[in-house]
Amino acid sequence: MQKIISAIVADIGKVLLGKEHQVKLALACLLARGHLLIEDLPGMGKTTLAHALAQVLGLSYKRVQFTSDMLPADILGVSIFERESGQFRFHEGPVFSQLLLADEINRSSPKTQSALLEAMEERQVSIDGETRPLPEPFFVIATQNPLQQSGTFVLPESQLDRFLMRISLGYPTREAERALFQGVDPRAQLAQLKPRINSEGLKKLQSLVGQVKASDSLLDYLERLVQHSRHSPECAVGLSPRGALALLHAARAWALIHNRGHLLPEDLQAVLPAVAGHRLQTDGGDGAQLVERMMHQVDIIAA
Amino acid sequence: MIQGSANPHGHSQLQTLLPRESLLWIFAAQLAVLLPHFAHLPLWLLGAWTVAVYWRLEVYRGRREIPGRLVKLLAVSLAVLGLVLTYRRWFALEPMVALLAVSFTLKNIELVSRRDALLSLMLAYFLAATLFVFEQTIPYALYGMLCVVLITAALAAQQGKGSARPGRALGLSAKLLAQAVPVMLLLFVVMPRLGPLWAVPQNSAKASTGISDSMSPGDFSELSKSDKPALRISFDGPLPPPEQRYWRGLVYTHFDGRRWSEPDLEQYYASWRRGRGRSQGVSGAAESEQTLPAVGPRYRYQVIQEASHSPWLFSLARPHSETEGVSATGDDTLVYRMPVASRLAYDVRSWPRESLARDEPLSAAEERRHLQLPGSGNPEARAWAQARLAEGMGAEQISTALLDLYHRNFTYTLRPPALGRDSVDEFLFSTRQGFCEHFASSYVFTMRAAGVPARVVAGYQGGEWVEQQEYLLVRQYDAHAWAEIWLPGRGWVRVDPTAAVAPERIRDGLQTAAAEEFMQDALLPLHKIALVTRLRLQWDMINYRWYQTVVSFDRERQEGLLTRLLGEVSPLRLALLLGLPVLLALAALLLWLHLSSRGPALPTVSRLYLRFCRRMARAGFARNPGEAPGDYARRIEREVPRLGPMARQITLAYERAAYGDSGSSAAAERQLRRLLRGFWPRRRARPTSVQSV
Repeated sequence: MQKIISAIVADIGKVLLGKEHQVKLALACLLARGHLLIEDLPGMGKTTLAHALAQVLGLSYKRVQFTSDMLPADILGVSIFERESGQFRFHEGPVFSQLLLADEINRSSPKTQSALLEAMEERQVSIDGETRPLPEPFFVIATQNPLQQSGTFVLPESQLDRFLMRISLGYPTREAERALFQGVDPRAQLAQLKPRINSEGLKKLQSLVGQVKASDSLLDYLERLVQHSRHSPECAVGLSPRGALALLHAARAWALIHNRGHLLPEDLQAVLPAVAGHRLQTDGGDGAQLVERMMHQVDIIAA
Repeated sequence: MIQGSANPHGHSQLQTLLPRESLLWIFAAQLAVLLPHFAHLPLWLLGAWTVAVYWRLEVYRGRREIPGRLVKLLAVSLAVLGLVLTYRRWFALEPMVALLAVSFTLKNIELVSRRDALLSLMLAYFLAATLFVFEQTIPYALYGMLCVVLITAALAAQQGKGSARPGRALGLSAKLLAQAVPVMLLLFVVMPRLGPLWAVPQNSAKASTGISDSMSPGDFSELSKSDKPALRISFDGPLPPPEQRYWRGLVYTHFDGRRWSEPDLEQYYASWRRGRGRSQGVSGAAESEQTLPAVGPRYRYQVIQEASHSPWLFSLARPHSETEGVSATGDDTLVYRMPVASRLAYDVRSWPRESLARDEPLSAAEERRHLQLPGSGNPEARAWAQARLAEGMGAEQISTALLDLYHRNFTYTLRPPALGRDSVDEFLFSTRQGFCEHFASSYVFTMRAAGVPARVVAGYQGGEWVEQQEYLLVRQYDAHAWAEIWLPGRGWVRVDPTAAVAPERIRDGLQTAAAEEFMQDALLPLHKIALVTRLRLQWDMINYRWYQTVVSFDRERQEGLLTRLLGEVSPLRLALLLGLPVLLALAALLLWLHLSSRGPALPTVSRLYLRFCRRMARAGFARNPGEAPGDYARRIEREVPRLGPMARQITLAYERAAYGDSGSSAAAERQLRRLLRGFWPRRRARPTSVQSV
């Protein structure tokens, strides 16, 4: 099992150079059955990461480019009357795929955003009074441009909360970029990627995440982190119970990726910025810095 | 109050609007504070307060505006005018309290900002304190506490955000005040009792209760209708027998045919107030600077006197008191330096008269004073006295004859028939029914007519024991008048003509002597119910103890208590007494905070790992709080390779014990223990960079 995971990480690493940590985070997010929000400038490899993940994991992959005139039906699908059969037939939208890349989600109107986010949460779609389950596994990678860019609709906090993690890829290292200049086209690389695992295997991996053991000492640390976020004067809003659970679950997936049957404080710390960064609200400041400080201030061993 | 209106729209916290819902709290606190004051404040003030509150409530409900400057000016002028018209004397206590109440009342119509509310409530505290200038009894003390709770609750209500809810405000207030109680008790004991910097004259126009400065027929029977306490006397040592309990207060020497009085009293007071008369007795008392007799006093006692609004004090014969402000008069009585306007306690020692028997005769002036009679009137009494003289009787024999006359033919009654112009004659020879003043008056008149110096003494006689002879309770109905005659060689001798008629009056008190008539006019004849009487005595005792322990805790008692507590009152010991409880309380608080903030105890493995961290810290490698054990071990490995392997092993053992499977954690813990036993990292000798240079 471990071999498969390292192979997956290595395969994606071939396409997305020097971004091992982010790749692992994305994988952990997927294994923890969460959805991923990538926030970065255009051209940083967001789409490449999503595509590579789909390829390597053997998932059916669809990509939707969000625009401001998009309607919910454009994502969910629509019932169309067919003259031959004299019946309505439901045409599935792009949401009916295993891995959906929702590109630039903050370009569409809130109505459309919330249609997608609802589907993410419920893992099913209700159209015309009929509930249709989404395929298993179902994984959404949404990308969004930094908010100061024009023509964007800010995702409200309640909807940000639907994403297990929010990461940003950042510029590649100098070596990685040089390799990029010298190497072949990533598109070509992408096409060569073979699936390392099938849906069944992925589901099994996902079920393993829940078995990673969290000891009392670790839960104490988690509790201290959560309490700190709630009582610190810096935080306007602390971590919700759902946020705390998300943190625990993501850390378990991270431990599994690192071939451990139990959680270490490092696991919590590794996923903390990605999981808590978009959930903590500050008075104007950046959640990421806050998480950084929180990590330094909260004692791991004792209060 | 002008000041508050000058800038109602500032932006500081104090200037913000007061929480709407706290308004009712303020009014409740104000009403509670003002209520007892209305007993002596003019009634129009209550009206003014009601109007102000009504107006403010209308503003609260949005029906009216906060009054403008003109209205406020009008209100102030009206209030000041009212005060001026009500009080003639300005610098007295009551006008001052009234002024306070007025300012308090008027503040209501501009109660806008939080600052106004605070001002009003602080004033309320002050006004609540002034209550004790008038009354210091237990009910008032309890009421004062209630006021403080209410005012504090009103203050708590000012915080906003639902703090005005009754439960929350009262709860917070009660909590705060409960916390303040120890401090209050401590300060009560150690706070220096400063004398008043300036005395505000109390309203002396108040009718004096008890014995007045003159006696005419009917005065004492009025007093006999009152069962209010007059004196409470506790003894230190022997107790006088009942027939000796004559509490002398006043001596009357002047008789105008109807009224007995002491004409020199006013004059005496005038000189006293000017500060010269301290040692001067009533006029003619040349020997007022008496030396105390060598024999020890017979009785030592403390008298607690209720407010009488007159200056004379009450004691047994031949008194001496060292209480401040008390001095002796030439007439063998004690006076206070001013009218007793509130309860007063004084310690007295009394000597038996026999031990002071003086041989020297009365001075001429004294003799004239004590033989004074009106020029005419009461011819029969005079004739009777002359007849006795003609028979060749001496002073004592005449006295005996007169007393015999009383004993045979006279009746003791609380409702004597009215007397006409020649009151002594009518009493002696026709009505023959009377109360103590009739007997004393006629006795002294007749003795004087017979040429024996005599005087009327007014005071109290008897008293009722409370709670196993803890103290003697003397009530107004124990007021009594008797006589004293001068006998050469023996000095002044007490003669109580009432005793000749109604000995039970002296022995058992008025209630027995005048069973039928006693307190007949009382609205409810409560004194006839034994239970009520007992309860009233109990209540009196509680009041007595309250006064003894709380109200009369003055500088002397404070020093006494501190001396008993500390051995010797030195600044160091006082500081210890003050500081030690505070320190202890703070230490307890600190301990409590520490214990309560520590949370659940750490598991053993964590404690072991922290030991490792401490040892590393001593060696110069402290762990950052947020540094995971693995990261820490890697850092050690990187920076001090010689400690690296050991640190890694310890960390691995810890990780397995603390975070790993529960199956192997016990073994890992043992391993961690073992590893730690041999791990004593030495301090880094020197930074490597220096060595390489």
